[in-house]
Amino acid sequence: MHKNILLKNCDFFYIMETNKISDNQKLKLVDKKERFIAAIKENECFIYKIASVYTNNIEDKNDVVQEILYQLWKSFDSFNQKSSLNTWMYRVALNVAVYQLKVFKKTIPTLPLVDHASHHAETNNNDQEDNWKILRQQIDALNLLDKGIVLLYLEDKSYEEIATIVGITKTNVATKLSRIKEKLKTQIHKNL
Amino acid sequence: MELDDLKNTWQNETNAGSQNNLTTLIIDKMTKEKYYSKIKKIAYPEIIGSSICVIAAGFVALSFNRFDTIVLQSVAVVAIIVLLAISVFSILSLQRLNMKKDINKTYAETLKTFATQKLAFYKLQKINIILCYLLMVTIIILLPKLFGDKNITQYKYFWLFASGTGYSFLLFYSKFVSKFYKKTLQQTEDLLLELPQ
Repeated sequence: MHKNILLKNCDFFYIMETNKISDNQKLKLVDKKERFIAAIKENECFIYKIASVYTNNIEDKNDVVQEILYQLWKSFDSFNQKSSLNTWMYRVALNVAVYQLKVFKKTIPTLPLVDHASHHAETNNNDQEDNWKILRQQIDALNLLDKGIVLLYLEDKSYEEIATIVGITKTNVATKLSRIKEKLKTQIHKNL
Repeated sequence: MELDDLKNTWQNETNAGSQNNLTTLIIDKMTKEKYYSKIKKIAYPEIIGSSICVIAAGFVALSFNRFDTIVLQSVAVVAIIVLLAISVFSILSLQRLNMKKDINKTYAETLKTFATQKLAFYKLQKINIILCYLLMVTIIILLPKLFGDKNITQYKYFWLFASGTGYSFLLFYSKFVSKFYKKTLQQTEDLLLELPQ
């Protein structure tokens, strides 16, 4: 039943791919796809926000989202369960966003960032919009290492998880976050 | 207002963002093909530029018998080498963009790779500018022979115009590039220092 629903949803290439393999392998592939889609749906918001924070326009943002999904799917088999699936996805998303910077730096920005502006206009929440602007400005002013740490902190990740994803010690995370908080506090007060 | 206060803003953005943007079909499509890739957009101009350089190098090589003195022949050889070097650099930088990404590394390791490659890219840009200066000089010397086999000493206005315009353009371009990269270069070096060794 499930298999049929998924096959109905998938495109021609997927069906072609599954036709080349045995029924058992097909079931495994469908199961993998199902798990993958569930994991993506769970982390969809973070993927979109990472893409937003590391880009300056909608086109680039969509490019990053697509590249993150593409890379996640490609490496889904190699996920070795040393860390949780979510931790692995966060790490991949951040890595892909950094790799994509190389591509964007070689192109001329075409559009200003309007997705959040329009999004907030829909929600009619001016405070949220202003705060989001402040948050974006502050995040943009950080270097790439601090940016990654702050994003994970904002996602409510523990110091241990941040340390695993970023690849620095827990103590280092604590020190860096404390410095970043102090720096942002001064900057926000200066801007208000 | 502090970072912890802004956490709510971030969280609210999370809640607001849950609009099922990614349907099963979209996720499936995104994992299949790079239908929105920017690399292609970068690749075409780079490939066209490289092709022009190779064609120009071929043109100079085919016209080699027109250069009747050792000086002109040496300049022609230099021009061919520079043109080929520029196209090789261009292809190399494209290859780097297409290089397989190790996305399972930690974020700090990825940043280290990114920063190191960025510094290497800037060095390549500097070499490119020097090569452009060299190419300008060689082309100006070879140009009259390439088109009409005329004695270049008779054309003082040509010299004045060609060298003046070429030099001014390259001077402006190199100043612009170094000014543009100076800040980013410093930030990249600082970032490398902050990363665990």
